[in-house]
Amino acid sequence: MSWLGTASYHLNVSLVGNAFLRWERMRLQRKLALWEHEHLNPPLGTSPRLKELISRHYLKGRYADGHGPVAWVTSGAPVEFLVALGFYVMYPENHAAVCGIRRKVEEIAGAAEEAGYSQDLCSYARTDIGAVLSGNTPVGRLPRPDILVCCTNICQTVLLWYRVLAHHFGCPLVLIDTPFIYDEASDHALAYVLRQVEAAVEVAEGIAGRSLSERRLDEVTRLSLDAVELWAEVMATGQHSPAPITAFDEFIHMAPIVEMRGEAYTVDYYAALLAELKQRQVDGVGALKVERKRVLWDNLPIWHRLRWLSDKLAERGIALVASTYTNAWGELAGLIDPDRPMESAARVHMHVILNRGTGHKLATIRQMASDFQVDGVILHSDRSCKPYSIGQIDQRERLGTVAELPALLLEADHSDPRSFSEEQVTNRLEAFAEVLEA
Amino acid sequence: MAPVYPVLPTRSDTLAAWRQGGGQVAAVFPVHVPRALFRAFGLLPVEVWGPPGLSTKEGDSHLQAYACSIVRSSLSWLLTAGQEAADVYLVPHACDSLQGLASLLLDFLPPGRPVLPLYVPRDHGVAGVAFLAAELGDLADRLAATLGRRPTEDALHEAIAREQAADEALAELLGSRLHLPWSDTDFYRLVRGREFLPAEDFTEFVREALTARTEEPIEGRRLMLSGMVAEPAALLQAIADAGGVVAADDLASSGRRLYPPGRSEDPLERLAESLLGAAPGPTRGSEVQARVDHLVALAERAGVAAVLFWVVKFCEPDLFYLPQVRQALEDRGLHTAVVEVDISDPLPAQAITRLEALLEIAS
Repeated sequence: MSWLGTASYHLNVSLVGNAFLRWERMRLQRKLALWEHEHLNPPLGTSPRLKELISRHYLKGRYADGHGPVAWVTSGAPVEFLVALGFYVMYPENHAAVCGIRRKVEEIAGAAEEAGYSQDLCSYARTDIGAVLSGNTPVGRLPRPDILVCCTNICQTVLLWYRVLAHHFGCPLVLIDTPFIYDEASDHALAYVLRQVEAAVEVAEGIAGRSLSERRLDEVTRLSLDAVELWAEVMATGQHSPAPITAFDEFIHMAPIVEMRGEAYTVDYYAALLAELKQRQVDGVGALKVERKRVLWDNLPIWHRLRWLSDKLAERGIALVASTYTNAWGELAGLIDPDRPMESAARVHMHVILNRGTGHKLATIRQMASDFQVDGVILHSDRSCKPYSIGQIDQRERLGTVAELPALLLEADHSDPRSFSEEQVTNRLEAFAEVLEA
Repeated sequence: MAPVYPVLPTRSDTLAAWRQGGGQVAAVFPVHVPRALFRAFGLLPVEVWGPPGLSTKEGDSHLQAYACSIVRSSLSWLLTAGQEAADVYLVPHACDSLQGLASLLLDFLPPGRPVLPLYVPRDHGVAGVAFLAAELGDLADRLAATLGRRPTEDALHEAIAREQAADEALAELLGSRLHLPWSDTDFYRLVRGREFLPAEDFTEFVREALTARTEEPIEGRRLMLSGMVAEPAALLQAIADAGGVVAADDLASSGRRLYPPGRSEDPLERLAESLLGAAPGPTRGSEVQARVDHLVALAERAGVAAVLFWVVKFCEPDLFYLPQVRQALEDRGLHTAVVEVDISDPLPAQAITRLEALLEIAS
């Protein structure tokens, strides 16, 4: 920490930045009133507030160097101890998703490819490494990490990716290796993860220059739990017909639950979002003007085609009412125990959907299909996410034969537009829509 | 006098003889396998790297094209000829694709016999050893439940000693490559015997082979081969045709599996220490610098002039560190090339051209 860094942070974030972002929110709110779409009802009124939250998060990151310790973490890693120790927490996957939405991946990942990283590697990893190598980012600037926290509960790719980051930045990498659960988590696996979480805390304490306060950790864990529970309630409103929120909205509104857990403003935000959705339910307002069919999404979104896909489905009256991906940040609320934060961190982070077998995922899809009363399932076969995608061919087959649910396998990549064929996807979506209507 | 090359039994002859003697077989998938545990249970661990050259049609109907050919070929084999080829199947967790394969087999496509997954921890310290020892204990329990028998601790210690001797023999064999007057094709036939021969037989064959060591090193442009496995096997002949010789081995099927002996008195802990003590490898999530240092040392020790990264298409572990590793090797004056292959296909002409160019530049 430096005096200059702290002064710069307060000037640019607390004073100028916050004022600008408030003004920008109000401007967007006014713009919302003028919004018109042939098939979609107006976006959620909380959307400008969400944009403010996300922008502020990246603004804080832009000026974090010299102000406080910075951690880069994988999306599935436990972060409560980092928040409690005062770290600014940066999520390279989320940043890569932002690059995807802004259609900057070809350009930014291109820098990594020029440096020798294969196009067959995960597009999130290529985008992140490309941003690090080139300094190119749509969010202004990424802070330099003091620590990297990598949890293998989402894939093994993240470990190789974070090893590359550690080599580049020369900073410590804390590994939380979560053995894959083929059927049930063993006691020794839980003990192994807990031991690593405890070791991670020690390293983080050393970097932060202070000890972890038990009281503060409990407080942060409670805030995390509150946010996760609210997020689960937000998603559950999609069970209502017409659904007041679609998975396309959730893909955007999930940002705080991923990258701002443990903060009071995240809880406030989801409370406001939930209130708005409940009001929509009362008013009978759906996300679509006419909801004819309801569909579940499996896997990461196709960030670079969110609007396009949303429009394509909406014009056929198909509401994407839920997704296994957004559900992953809400389904484990019951495992979070603020009275035993470390143990519950180990347990929760072992049980995420991506760390469990293909049969478990099928069971989740079927349960959600029933809860949300869907007419079909779209399985995004994501070239950049093997753990999520392998198994989908058999899942689709079983959804059809056992659950009698039409399911579409859609080939794409969550971030890289070069693996997306608009014409092919259009044809497949149209054929799928016809099956749903038959 | 012509060099003596040991006459090795084939994989199928070995299996037949083993079964005839009343033994059972475990088909094991890449990469790190607790062979001693299987042998203690009377199971011969036989490795499945694909198998190469097999039609992947069956696997392709369950796996996307971006799963690597080792996994697609393995699944094809399991759904056809491999259905009942073994008494148990072991799928260690080496990457996301093998994780998916194990999960598919357990949940949707069970072969005729039990499938046992094994998580190889990415933490290589005390926590990793403790976890792996417990994981091996679980594996032993599942084997005992499947087979209805359990080895004594002495039997396990004996099996560990046998495998340790075979690991040492493999290390000596690889280290003697330049003093063994055989083609790479013959040399690797022996090296890959470690994938299916009983450890004591492999050790014996190696001892016999090492008697042919020469004073002078063999001729040829020295090459380091890095990747999963030297498949398609025609690669080795192509290297010879281009005037090269594989002087250093960083293959997951051989050089990355030179396990040091464990230290613990507890057999499972000893096994865990040994498995986690292997050379830094990407499927174990080793640090980039550790990989760089290892490869640089390997190349310098063998005096190689060129390094061929023989990468199975879509293999993320082998692809990730390439920029750093290549840079470090090139900074030391070595020439490098990357060739991506599909083990189910014949050796592509393009790969031969790249190989020839690499060896030409390096000469």
